[in-house]
Amino acid sequence: MQAFGSGAMTNSIDEIRDADCIFITGSNTAEAHPVISYEVVRAVKGGANLIIVDPRRTPLVDHATLYLQPHPGTDIYVFLAMMHIIIREGWLDEDLIQSETEGFEAYSEIVKDYPPERAALISGVPEDQIQLAARLYALGERAYGDSHYQDARGHSTILYAMGITQRSNGTDSVMTMANMSMLCGQVGKPSTGVNPLRGQANVQGACDVGCLVNVFPGYQRVTDEKARKKLVKTWKVESLPAEVGLTIVEATHAALEGKVRAMYIMGENPMMSDPNTNHVEQAFRNLDFLVVQDIFPSETAFLAHVLLPAASSLEKDGTFTNSERRVQLLQGVIAPPGEALPDWAITSAIARQVAIKMGKDSASKQWEFSGTAEIFDELAASTPIYGGMSFDRLEPQGLQWPCPDQEHPGTPILHVGKFARGKGKFNPVEARDPAEKTDEEYPLNLSTGRVLYHYHSGTMTRRSAPLHWREPHSYAEINPEDAAVVDLKDGDDVDIHSRRGVVHTKTRISNDVPPGTIFLAFHWRESPANRLTQDFALDPVAKIPEYKFSAVRLEKPSAKRNN
Amino acid sequence: MITLTIDGKKIQIEEGTNVLEAALRNGIDIPHLCYHSDLSVSGGCRLCQVEVEGYDQPVTSCGMACAEGLVIQTQSERLTAIRRNLIDIFLADHPLDCVTCDKAGSCLLQKYAYEYGVKETSYIPIYSKTLYQDDNPFFIRDHQYCILCGRCVRVCDEIVGVHAIDFANRGFESHIATPYDGPMIDSSCVFCGNCVEVCPTAALLPVSRLKRGREWDLERVDSICGYCGVGCKIEYAVKDNEIIYAQASVQESVNGSFLCTKGRYGWDFAVNPERLTQPMVRRDLAYSLGISTENWRLPKVSPLDIDKPDVDDYFIPVDWETAYEIVSSKLVDIVKESGPDAIVGLASARCTNEENYLFQKLMRAVIGTNNVDHCARL
Ligand code: SF4
Ligand code: SF4
Ligand code: SF4
Ligand code: FES
Repeated sequence: MQAFGSGAMTNSIDEIRDADCIFITGSNTAEAHPVISYEVVRAVKGGANLIIVDPRRTPLVDHATLYLQPHPGTDIYVFLAMMHIIIREGWLDEDLIQSETEGFEAYSEIVKDYPPERAALISGVPEDQIQLAARLYALGERAYGDSHYQDARGHSTILYAMGITQRSNGTDSVMTMANMSMLCGQVGKPSTGVNPLRGQANVQGACDVGCLVNVFPGYQRVTDEKARKKLVKTWKVESLPAEVGLTIVEATHAALEGKVRAMYIMGENPMMSDPNTNHVEQAFRNLDFLVVQDIFPSETAFLAHVLLPAASSLEKDGTFTNSERRVQLLQGVIAPPGEALPDWAITSAIARQVAIKMGKDSASKQWEFSGTAEIFDELAASTPIYGGMSFDRLEPQGLQWPCPDQEHPGTPILHVGKFARGKGKFNPVEARDPAEKTDEEYPLNLSTGRVLYHYHSGTMTRRSAPLHWREPHSYAEINPEDAAVVDLKDGDDVDIHSRRGVVHTKTRISNDVPPGTIFLAFHWRESPANRLTQDFALDPVAKIPEYKFSAVRLEKPSAKRNN
Repeated sequence: MITLTIDGKKIQIEEGTNVLEAALRNGIDIPHLCYHSDLSVSGGCRLCQVEVEGYDQPVTSCGMACAEGLVIQTQSERLTAIRRNLIDIFLADHPLDCVTCDKAGSCLLQKYAYEYGVKETSYIPIYSKTLYQDDNPFFIRDHQYCILCGRCVRVCDEIVGVHAIDFANRGFESHIATPYDGPMIDSSCVFCGNCVEVCPTAALLPVSRLKRGREWDLERVDSICGYCGVGCKIEYAVKDNEIIYAQASVQESVNGSFLCTKGRYGWDFAVNPERLTQPMVRRDLAYSLGISTENWRLPKVSPLDIDKPDVDDYFIPVDWETAYEIVSSKLVDIVKESGPDAIVGLASARCTNEENYLFQKLMRAVIGTNNVDHCARL
């Protein structure tokens, strides 16, 4: 990330249990990353403080020693106020700021404008709670018991997930977390740091190996001529494209305009997972050619021209990289069904034929692989942070990048003694409000996310018998106050309208969501939450859609409806 | 670090470690039923007693902290007699069903009965618990095999943090229960199955393994969970190309001894009949390519609005060669007409590093565009 120089967890998962203070925001850890919540529970049972900042009361709040419930979209005011207090009270780590960081002056000027009184007024969180959160985090205070560490200051760690990134100011929030950790010296040591929890098994790896529009493998910028020259040699090609490409949401818009004509989609289901489904569908229908390679006929597959059957993660070898940057070996457990093939075999066959048809016969030879170990070796040679890895080094417990050479033991903790980008940078961040506003017609805020028993667009978990049994149909969580306004009871049918569309589901009346907020998971094909979300206000840097804030209204379904 | 001696072996260990843990970490197995390395010490089964130099009576090793200079014996005639008697008492309230039991081969009570040569109980057997609960598709609870070691209660409270189950009643009536003995689904249970994982007997078993083969019939394959970004290491028990059950791998891992409900129970999607098993071409494209004679059009209605869309209504199967030919010529034609940037590739957080690497290389080095993205943001 911009502050430290990389976008992964700075620390390792097993350090969480030894933290003195854990600060969680925008992560429903117990449902989205259960095994990490076990580490948190252990720490708390041993006397650590647990601070949770979330508009929605997530299950882990039962273990929190301090729970702050800001109005949706206002948490940034709370974070800024915490830092305001930390500076005012002198709880900052002046040595680290002096010697290892830059930009503190400009940043602290901005933070001056965000006193806790202001945050309390806007977010609804009482001032004394913000003050307490600031102190516990900054000084790493425990609730009871002895610290695992002997330092003057206890060790505090920050965990966050898509609750803060899937917003039009997501990048700001992430930089705010980085600022806070540097301010207090809670980085570069065990059980500290800034730790984004990744939603899907190999999101981290997909980023690391260059499935992003602006970087080659290992985060080498496509606009950097040196990086291009190096890769031109490694890949034995004449040239590589130098302009940043189109992100998913941009590509959808371009397809609607006819500028993008073909898409090759491997293992994704944008019809369920991308914002503003009606737009996505029009865009896909507008394509001249759509190939979908997947394990199931997903909702997206039904708009494709060609379907390619892929092996699932249980049916192939290779590596995944987890949230803590650990590259781990997969082993095929069972055989793929029918003629299904591992994605690498399909993609390389397509590459060979495309190369031949484009008159690059010699290039087609580069796409013959004996297996995944050989591909990994090429990957490692093209990806400096994986440079020292090979399959035989990944047993038994994998390696954490950066691991630049064969002697390197991997890196459990980033930024020890020195920040990856040289100096840690304080980024001045102002509070910004969500892009879409509620009004009389759409008075409520819709937040989308996950439930424990399902995963992503539901293609796998909804076809798992026990998981389906536990959570068979969709529901929206609604606060009793909002339900009363339209006379809805628990389990009633309800229509949720946004400026983009309507979704039909059932109610689950619950105090876990605050008044004014509706929660709907995006796993349900019968209630596709993304028909409601918007795709106009992306975070300007990360281009992440605002899944956590769309203006909606509730209606009782008209009598005519018959499903 | 302190030094103590166990069975004549000098052992260095962090202060505060208990004697049982120190022994286990050094390859010395002291029999134990209620102790689990990741859970608090309960001291209920008393099987782990050892002789300590300077003590008259044996001491439970799980409850004793290591101290400098301690000298411990884990085997003696007296200890063997004590352990035999304890196992004997357990067997008085535990049916000796090993010949048909699904847990045979990995049951700890069976293991210790074997090691100490206890063939049957010398007491009059009284089976105090008879409840059999199969109220959910994740695991069954067969109370007759429960030895009340309490591991399940502790893991649920100390690790999972939901405290769905606890000891209920006292004495003869004592058993492990949800509030009011209600069905699992009405409790705070999150179906993580960690209680099943730590249970030493057949009292808790995954539904998927019942009558599906015994431990020695099953192959083991370790792999990484395909769901969330924690990256848990899972050991799959496999027979004839079918997964029988899954548990945490014994190898070093991020997740240690634990998993969540998706990783432990969510693998059966792989054998769902809806899996794609052959390449397919949409009927309108097939018609225009002369592969099919039926003039078909893509319905206007959104696939999301069809209750159960059937892929055979939309597509016809083809062989791989045909599929590759169609895909590669379409892509190349579009590159030639509109340039490489008219093509977009979406890679996947569900695919491996190798696959994603090749995918972006195809887009960049062969097709020539940086239009390659995935759902990191979503
Ligand atoms: S499955 Fe998990 S939550 Fe349920 S009783 Fe067992 S340990 Fe507790
Ligand atoms: S169910 Fe298993 S783990 Fe729980 S007390 Fe009984 S024997 Fe022990
Ligand atoms: S077992 Fe659960 S926590 Fe572990 S990787 Fe799988 S989904 Fe994530
Ligand atoms: S293992 Fe020590 S008393 Fe049970």
